[in-house]
Amino acid sequence: MPELPELNPVIHGKLRLALLSLLVGVEEAEFTWLRAKTGSTDGNLGAQLLKLEEAGYVSVEKKFVQRKPQSLYRITEAGRAALTEYVHALRQLLGGAIGA
Amino acid sequence: MTANNEELELKDRLSLIESMIAEGRRTTERWGWVFVLWGVANITAILWAALAHFPWAWPITMITAWVVTIVVAVRKTAKRPSTTLGRAVSAIWIAFGISMMLLFPALGISGRIDEYIQISVGSAMLGMAYAASAILLRWKAQFACALVWWCSSIYACFGKSTPVAVVYLSAIFLCMIVFGVYGMISDWRMRRREASHA
Repeated sequence: MPELPELNPVIHGKLRLALLSLLVGVEEAEFTWLRAKTGSTDGNLGAQLLKLEEAGYVSVEKKFVQRKPQSLYRITEAGRAALTEYVHALRQLLGGAIGA
Repeated sequence: MTANNEELELKDRLSLIESMIAEGRRTTERWGWVFVLWGVANITAILWAALAHFPWAWPITMITAWVVTIVVAVRKTAKRPSTTLGRAVSAIWIAFGISMMLLFPALGISGRIDEYIQISVGSAMLGMAYAASAILLRWKAQFACALVWWCSSIYACFGKSTPVAVVYLSAIFLCMIVFGVYGMISDWRMRRREASHA
C-alpha cells in the first residue's frame, strides 16, 4: 500500500492557505485587500502573514504612499512550490472522493 | 475526528483554494462600464457633429470621456492587486487610447481626414484591440466584436456614405454598448454566484 503524504502544517492553517491561494493569482497584494478578501482581523492577518514570511513563502515590501504606510505582499517561488505540493498531497489523500 | 469528517475538512480546503484563486483572478474584470461609456461618447459625438455641425463636438466628448475613464479607473484600481493578465489587457487599451488621441486630432488639424478614413482606421484599431484582449482573456464574445469592427473597417473602404455610417453606428452600439452591458451583467452574476457559495 503506498504511503499517504503528509500535509504541510504551515500551509494547512485555513487563513494561511487562503492567503497563499489569493497571492498565487496576483502579482502583489496590499494588506488591506488581503484583509477584505479573508474577512480577518488586522492582528490575526499580520500574525499569519508573518508565519508565511518566516517560512519563506511570501515576501513583503513596506513603503509609504502619500505618507501612508503600505505593505505589499508577494508569493515567493518556494511558496508557489509549497502550495502546488500541498494541492497534490490533498488530492492524493482525497483520492477518488474528489468530485463525489 | 471521524474519517468522514476528515474527508469533508480536506474537501473544504480544496474548495477554499479554488475560490481564493478565482477571487484573485477576478480582479481583471469589472470593466464593462468603460465600453458603455465610450459607446455613448462616440454616438453622442457623431450625432452632435452631424446634426448641429458643431466643430468642437468631438474634442469635447472625447476629452470628457477620457477624464471620466481616468478618474473612475484610478479610484477602482487603487486598492486592487496587480495581475500580469490585468496589466497586459490594460497595456493594450492604454496604447490604443494614446494612438487614437494622437492620430485623430493630428489628422483633423492637418485636414487629411474624411469620414471613410476615420471609420476605416478607427474600426481597424478597435478590431485589433478587441482581438488582442479577447485572445488574452479567452473571451469569445469580445472576439466576435473584433470581427464586427474589422467588417466595419473593410466596408468603409468600399461603401457609400450613409450605409458606411449606419454600419459604423451599429458596430458602436453592438460592440460597445451591448457588449459593455453584457460584461457588466456577467460580472454581476458571477459576484452573486460567488456570494451565494461563500
